[in-house]
Amino acid sequence: MALKQVQTTCPYCGAGCQIMFTVDADANKIVEAVPADGRTNEGTLCLKGHYGWDYLNDPQILTKRLRKPMIRKGGKKSPLVEVSWDEAISYVAEKLTEIKGKYGPDSIMGTGSARGAGNEANYLMQKFMRACIGTNNVDHCARI
Amino acid sequence: MGIPEIEDAKCLLCFGYNGADSHPIVARRIVRGRQKGMKIICADPRVTETARISDIHLQLKGGSNLALVNAMANVIWKEGLADEKFIQEHTKGFDEFLKVIENYTPEYAAEISQVPAETIRQAARMYATNKPAMILYGMGVCQFSQAVDVVKGLANLALMTGNFGGPSMGIGPVRGQNNVQGACDMGALPNSYPGYQSVTDPASREKFEKAWGVPLPDKVGCPITHVPYRILQEKEERKRIHAYYIFGEDPAQSDPDLAEVREALDKCDFVIMQDIYMNKTGLHADVILPATAWGENEGVYTCADRGFQRVRKVVEPEGDLKPDWQIIAEISTAMGYPMNYKNTEEIWNELIDLCPSFTGATYEKIEKYGSVQWPCRDKSMEDKGTPYLHKDGIFATKDHKALFYGTDWHPPLEMENEEYPMSLSTVREVGHYSVRTMTGNCRTLRNLEDEPGWVQISPQDCQKLKIQKGELVKVLSKRGYCISRCLPTERVKPGAVYMTYQWWIGSCNELTIAHLDPISNTPEYKYCACRVEKIQDQEWAERHVKEMYNDIRTQMGIQPGKGARS
Repeated sequence: MALKQVQTTCPYCGAGCQIMFTVDADANKIVEAVPADGRTNEGTLCLKGHYGWDYLNDPQILTKRLRKPMIRKGGKKSPLVEVSWDEAISYVAEKLTEIKGKYGPDSIMGTGSARGAGNEANYLMQKFMRACIGTNNVDHCARI
Repeated sequence: MGIPEIEDAKCLLCFGYNGADSHPIVARRIVRGRQKGMKIICADPRVTETARISDIHLQLKGGSNLALVNAMANVIWKEGLADEKFIQEHTKGFDEFLKVIENYTPEYAAEISQVPAETIRQAARMYATNKPAMILYGMGVCQFSQAVDVVKGLANLALMTGNFGGPSMGIGPVRGQNNVQGACDMGALPNSYPGYQSVTDPASREKFEKAWGVPLPDKVGCPITHVPYRILQEKEERKRIHAYYIFGEDPAQSDPDLAEVREALDKCDFVIMQDIYMNKTGLHADVILPATAWGENEGVYTCADRGFQRVRKVVEPEGDLKPDWQIIAEISTAMGYPMNYKNTEEIWNELIDLCPSFTGATYEKIEKYGSVQWPCRDKSMEDKGTPYLHKDGIFATKDHKALFYGTDWHPPLEMENEEYPMSLSTVREVGHYSVRTMTGNCRTLRNLEDEPGWVQISPQDCQKLKIQKGELVKVLSKRGYCISRCLPTERVKPGAVYMTYQWWIGSCNELTIAHLDPISNTPEYKYCACRVEKIQDQEWAERHVKEMYNDIRTQMGIQPGKGARS
């Protein structure tokens, strides 16, 4: 069993606690999570910090992890069908281009994400909406 | 100010903020402050954990925040407790502000807030005479249609007592989500580019046009809370929303008035969902793009006190997943605006150079110091960031002076009435997070609380309604209803009920109102009129709740018998 340690920032509230994970690299599984000495948490964690990583194992208690791109090929309410990334990306690009052409850039709305995605993905999302689509219609759940 | 300093304040005014449930690690600082002798004033309609250890609990009626805050300002001024030197040297607009607060005698505020006038006086004295005093506020301030006015009202208190610009003072919103600060920092906002540079400022626009090589729109965009209106009711064809690209959000669970949200998603021509787990929004999406989750990707988050910190890959993603940034870049490239990045650091380097407040916060520096609070302007390792935003009372205005801003209190929109005689406020659950697709899929956490959640209600109201602990009850508003379990508790006052928002069945956002603060566009989640009804046939209700839950899971394509529930 090849063990490695990785320190990262907790994905839950805005306190920004640091967690040290021990990972079984062969099994690709987390073995243990302990508090690390971060600026804000100073070696403490709450119960979400201690136990909140199990969703990575996809235990399907509530819902299930998304594993493949999917499209409703028969329109609204039709079943979702698994597709390749190439098909999903071209489909999205074509539909957005079509809607932009027909109704203008302000007919498209995009969101950022205040959760796992991180700052870089949020930067790219707003750049995409502003520079590629041509609208300032981008917002996220800070006001929700 | 930063989170570690909380415990060294002489006084803490905790306003509409329940740390023990929403940020346990911040709540520990409050407890430690208490142990060090910090005075605590807690303004909250419920007896929260902070209220239990407070010196003064201002148990106000929901929706009366500004009346109480203005009355505290009134007392501080009338009793000569203001820091006149600070007001003189560092602020503007005090005389106009005085005219507003003059009417807010403690007696007047007592009528509105149900807090005795003498208690308001004591709280104002305690806050003004124990320096440094810190204010923490949360959603109990922000989720009202009068929200921004109250934030400014709290800032007025800090200004008039000179509590700005040093250690353990000031006013802090404690951010609910890990990266809500970061999403704002990055310009995922309709009015600003990354680094809070306004889209209506020609110089900023020109800078981003040059960097991104295309002309950019000069009008402020659509706030997320206007989306249902812009899909369902917008008359102007070119302003109506026809496509909605939802990235890491679940509006069909988290937004107010869910019936309206569902209708909007179904009537929108094209809904893209990019997420890690199937959720309620996924039932209405036309395309689903699976992304890597926290723990499977790299990047930077910003925590509540402006600290940039690294997130690192812990395990390898399994399945046909891509990091969010890569999915967005590929769509952009396919639409003729190429985005080519090898990793998150390349993206980061591009953006910090466009944002003067972030320029110095390189990956190298964040790695070395662990956490860098912006503003951090210089790339040299000596610039370690800025703990105090308004150090020594120098503010981020043109003349460096802070502005007093006084406004009158107004009540929430939907008050109790004959048909709906109680008020409903949404609150937080300690073991669950947001829409719970993460925590609901963690074995240890889901054991703490599960469907259909609880409705917190006073023992007096329970007696009146003849309902008991654990019984399933129906909670209704003008917009919808849900079924939840009765939790009698002395922590709440008669006439008001409280529910957490992550349950599919006990889904309180079926009831909430999409009425917004005019400036922040935040919905009034903390106040709407409701009614609680007894369900006579409990056996039927228990069966009905299970059936509804299984039905949602079937719609999501989860095989029967799968998961810990079976």
